Amino acid sequence: MRYFSKNAKETYNLGKKIALTLKGGEILALSGNLGAGKTVFSKGVAAGLGVKAVITSPTFVLMKIYHPKSKILTLKKFVHIDCYRVDGPMAIEGIGATDYFNQSDSVVLIEWAEKIKKILPPSAIKIKIKILKEDKREINIIK
Amino acid sequence: MIILGIESSCDETAAAVVKISGRRFDILGHTISSQINIHKKYGGVVPEVAARNHIINIIPVVEQTLHQAKIQPKQINRVAVTYGPGLITSLMVGLETAKTLSFAWQKPIVAINHMRAHIYANWLENKKIIFPVMCLVVSGGHTELVLIKDNSKFKKVGQTLDDAAGEAFDKVAKLLDVGYPGGPVISRLAKTGNAKAFNLARPMINANNLDFSFSGLKTSVLYAVQKAKRTDQKFKADMCASFQQAAIDVLVSKTIKAAQQYKVKTIMLSGGVSANLLLRQTLSEQAGYFGFEFLMPRIDFCTDNAAMVAVAGYFGQTKPYQKIKVDPNLSL
Repeated sequence: MRYFSKNAKETYNLGKKIALTLKGGEILALSGNLGAGKTVFSKGVAAGLGVKAVITSPTFVLMKIYHPKSKILTLKKFVHIDCYRVDGPMAIEGIGATDYFNQSDSVVLIEWAEKIKKILPPSAIKIKIKILKEDKREINIIK
Repeated sequence: MIILGIESSCDETAAAVVKISGRRFDILGHTISSQINIHKKYGGVVPEVAARNHIINIIPVVEQTLHQAKIQPKQINRVAVTYGPGLITSLMVGLETAKTLSFAWQKPIVAINHMRAHIYANWLENKKIIFPVMCLVVSGGHTELVLIKDNSKFKKVGQTLDDAAGEAFDKVAKLLDVGYPGGPVISRLAKTGNAKAFNLARPMINANNLDFSFSGLKTSVLYAVQKAKRTDQKFKADMCASFQQAAIDVLVSKTIKAAQQYKVKTIMLSGGVSANLLLRQTLSEQAGYFGFEFLMPRIDFCTDNAAMVAVAGYFGQTKPYQKIKVDPNLSL
């Protein structure tokens, strides 16, 4: 599916909308350049899943785990991973992030997912955000 | 009381021995083994490389610190160690070492929150602290405003809603292709640039809350770079200066606002970004102008070190070592 977003608010709302289609166990693999709006989209997904905490960038620590109050009763974790600083899959495996892949109690969202292509399961939902003019974005979601 | 502090949450392996007598904190010995040159080529810290180097460094760092302090293990009263937030594999090296030492030497252990430790770096100045205090905590992973009512009562009253300030420096450095780590590189280039060359967004500066947003500032740098016909040295210097000014304007104005809102007596600065000279100078001037006391750590104790962990250990509670586990997502 291809979407167009006019501003950050719309990108956020799209994330929220996508979250409502999730059941747990999914991996959302985000890609897009610096400033594309990956964190904004992630905040929308988290809000849609029922995370109350403030979602801040996981760039520095690579992974942050949140505990949503979700309508999906089996959903216990929202795992927010950021591969911006990493060179390849080793670092992400090293911190134990892959333990959360394909677990029905977790939704995993990975920013800069193209950097760890090798270890992404084929079932991962690929979300590509492209910067158009100024605040406009093209968002492709490939299931 | 004599405390051994140990720190390994990111890419610095550090130990320190601090002696506390009355209200004085004296550093008897301290060592920091930095991996900055190792990680430079990757443009950021690589967790498993960091952990491997922590393992190599930790025992020599502790030994050297004790030697420098002329302290025998039996003279130590407690061991203080960082247990979060940070990189899980890095944290584990320091924590497990500290637990082992605590068990072998039969000394109590205190688990320390790294961000609180950054705040305690101010106590090393040995100046009288007049409470309540509003502290701006800025680093690569954090940007927070913390209300401090006494030596151990801390409350977060504002925070970044997206990127940390230090992270914005790193990412802007990457956008401009000027090197790593972004903080020092940008402030160096900024010296030769014109801070008024670009009128960048100052996100949330007038918002009626105490929160920050640095993601929007990064994006406005991106747009300016895209628009520019040439990104020569002058462009980069001007952009660094303009970006640094915008980031500092937001940090300082929100800190003053928080200080006024909570009617504190003192403004404090802490965290790795507090090594930024323009931030130090601006916040210090503004605090004075609005009638607040001002305190900040010496530059060497702004970035990660173990002396601040030892101070935090003085105010913290001891716990059986079996009950202490790393917490990479620990909040303040």
